[in-house]
Amino acid sequence: MKNTLHKIFLASVSASLLVACKPTLTPPTASKGNVDATRYVAIGGSMTAGYADGGLTYKGQQNSYDNLIAGQFKLIGGGSFNQPLIPASSIGCGAGGASPLQLGYATDCMGATSLIPVPIAKSGDITIFGNSVYASEGPFNNMGVAGAKSIYVVTPGYGNPANGAGNYNPFFTRMAANAATSSILSDAVAMKPTFFTLFLTDDIMAYAMAGAASDSITSTANFTASLNYIISSLKAAGATGGAIANIPDVTLFPFFTTIPYNGLALNGSNDTLMNLLYNSRGLYFKIGNNPFVIADPSAQYGLRLMKSDEHLLLDIPLDSVKCDGLGSYYKAIPSQYVLTETEISNIRAAIANFNSIIQAAASANGLAYVDMNSFFGSLQTGITYNGVAMNAQFVTGGTFSLDGIDLNPIGQAMLANQFIKAINAKYGSTIPQVDATQYSGVVFP
Amino acid sequence: MKKIVLFLILSSPLFIKAQGFQVNLQGQKQQGMAGAGTGLMQDAAAVFFNPGGVSFLQGNSASVGMTPTFANGTFLDADNGSVAHSDAPVGTPFTAYVVWGPDSSRFKFGFGVYTPFGSIASWPDNWTGRFALIYMKLQSIYFQPTVSYKVCNKLGIGAGLVYGTGDVEFKQVMPVVDANGNYGIADLKATAANYGFNVGLYYQPTDKLSIGLTYRSQITMNVTNGQATFTVPPSLASNFPSGPFTSKLPLPQEGTLGIGYKVNDKLSFAFDANIIGWKALDTIAFYYKDTTSALKPTKLPRDYQNAYAFRLGAQYMINDKLTVRGGVAYSISPVKAGYVTPEVPDANKVNLTCGVGYKFSSHFGADASVTFENLKRTDDNLSLQLNGTYKTYILAPGLSVIYQF
Repeated sequence: MKNTLHKIFLASVSASLLVACKPTLTPPTASKGNVDATRYVAIGGSMTAGYADGGLTYKGQQNSYDNLIAGQFKLIGGGSFNQPLIPASSIGCGAGGASPLQLGYATDCMGATSLIPVPIAKSGDITIFGNSVYASEGPFNNMGVAGAKSIYVVTPGYGNPANGAGNYNPFFTRMAANAATSSILSDAVAMKPTFFTLFLTDDIMAYAMAGAASDSITSTANFTASLNYIISSLKAAGATGGAIANIPDVTLFPFFTTIPYNGLALNGSNDTLMNLLYNSRGLYFKIGNNPFVIADPSAQYGLRLMKSDEHLLLDIPLDSVKCDGLGSYYKAIPSQYVLTETEISNIRAAIANFNSIIQAAASANGLAYVDMNSFFGSLQTGITYNGVAMNAQFVTGGTFSLDGIDLNPIGQAMLANQFIKAINAKYGSTIPQVDATQYSGVVFP
Repeated sequence: MKKIVLFLILSSPLFIKAQGFQVNLQGQKQQGMAGAGTGLMQDAAAVFFNPGGVSFLQGNSASVGMTPTFANGTFLDADNGSVAHSDAPVGTPFTAYVVWGPDSSRFKFGFGVYTPFGSIASWPDNWTGRFALIYMKLQSIYFQPTVSYKVCNKLGIGAGLVYGTGDVEFKQVMPVVDANGNYGIADLKATAANYGFNVGLYYQPTDKLSIGLTYRSQITMNVTNGQATFTVPPSLASNFPSGPFTSKLPLPQEGTLGIGYKVNDKLSFAFDANIIGWKALDTIAFYYKDTTSALKPTKLPRDYQNAYAFRLGAQYMINDKLTVRGGVAYSISPVKAGYVTPEVPDANKVNLTCGVGYKFSSHFGADASVTFENLKRTDDNLSLQLNGTYKTYILAPGLSVIYQF
């Protein structure tokens, strides 16, 4: 009896200990495999720089995919990741001095108020371009520069103001070791990187964002030569590994897919007016939703109706469309706001061409190949990460930032994970992915 | 007696993760023997375990019991290596049984109040799976008046009408954030009630051997008055209107075959084989009264399969006053691969139990038991894309008192 009670007492004591203890699950140790992450340098365009919501901001830089990769690299002996940070107190600045965007209420020309991206201020904080941060903060591991095409990455003096407005990149000026002589690549090489990532989309993007009306797609020869020169220079500087991402189909980004081609809603009298105006030029309208009228030099009379697989750009002046007859009674939508079927097919052909060049370069140089095109493709149908559903819809899709081109923090984290997966697969490392749920989506007021 | 029952109900019982949402804590003697008790008539808990055997109980009795339940869970994300611990809210499944009938009569009447289904899971507000779940509570209380009839000295039958009430809360973080970094919260609460039954057959071919067969019907909780509350940034308030919702949650049917064997006056064994109709739980759906383009019905795919359990227990009377018990059970989880969720990170499992009973007098007795479960399950949830390992310790020490008259 006494013995039994004693046993019961002991059992109760050990039971109460169990009540207090939490089950232990230990994450597997991160192993480096063949990755030497001592000095990691990232080269790329706006996403690499941390550009988002139409501008370069401190928050965006903190959440750049390369900064997140560098955070995971610390688990396998990676060093610090230096970025050309703008002050945390600054609202940041977009290309051309524009203010970054936030979601806010704006009233359009018809008096309707809605929740849309609006500038945080009248203009961006252009003081960020005023001073070089190289001396105080450089050299930099994040060599991402908004607007950097492959050919620009290798161009000395890419940040040289002496070239004159429009002929240099002020985002690079502020971070270059020597604005007059540095190229993005030469500064990257000076870091003696042991590992690098490359993600270049601007050879296509700048042209697409111009509605294929200006700028141009980099030639195959120049793209190939620049890419190979970038890779061979980094290897010569001591890089023993790297990852290179291919180019997503940018025409499916929200900047191109948000405004409907058939947003011209006509009631009875408008319909009569439009038919009066355009029937003589071979265009016919019906009551209800109609395609917009766009300029097309190859069409008879230089204009035609938009087709369902063509895209209007997000920077089209919507008030002019809604109230001043742009795309309807006043005039056709100019080419700079439209990607036509032909232009889209040219862009896609160039992407396919560049991607085969990128894949060949990855394979020839033993680099991890990141199929970013396929990742962005999966956003078309939608993906789920730990219960968070994401897709490529503007604002509601949760992945893209308010400029419709760059990503918000959770999108950047998903991008980092694409790199990490490819690096692990190529180099036999077991670097854990970023917990993307810890990064926010679009901020709502 | 009535007062005690009322008190227990008011103390707002919270239950544990068990097999699916099932709680196998319906009697301390049986708990000590791994939950087996369909074929071996022990006490008034037979109202739950086998209404057919109630007529075979000696005398009249009443019992109340409670099993505070401690659950500690941990999740390790296979992709990002993050670790989260679920809180350990204490659940308190309880039981109250009365059995009465003149010894001269072949009839016995019983009443039981018990908590057959329940679950509680509480994860941190910042864990990696918070967009799937931060809090889930399901509780049910069944009230069961019962009649049992001894057909002959070897055979008894019994039936109980069950009135079941249920209470559910489901809370998740919404992936919308304001400028201060506060995420939205969806909080769904509902109560429901419905009727069912519990029937049993008890057959005692010899003095040593007894066999029981029971069937408890499914009770479908029809939620007509659920309340959904969405806390979101002000600009989204009209996209996520708080308001009523409807839903349907089946608390499944269950069949058990039990065998009891009395080796001698001191030693006896009980074995139960049990099937639970979890296949009825396919999708948990919430239909909101007010929907918007952003707020569509929530459908949580569960695709449960029927669950099985095998329970073996033994008890030994050390002397007239003291009895010790032990048991082991093996349960096959209703949760298929690809469907493991943080609300019930269930797994096939072995659980061990032990118990002790003490008779203070010919009228008063007490029984205590301890149940321990250790679950581990690795899964890549198909709909959530949440990939990782859950590990859970559950400890359920319980106590009941019995009064015989």
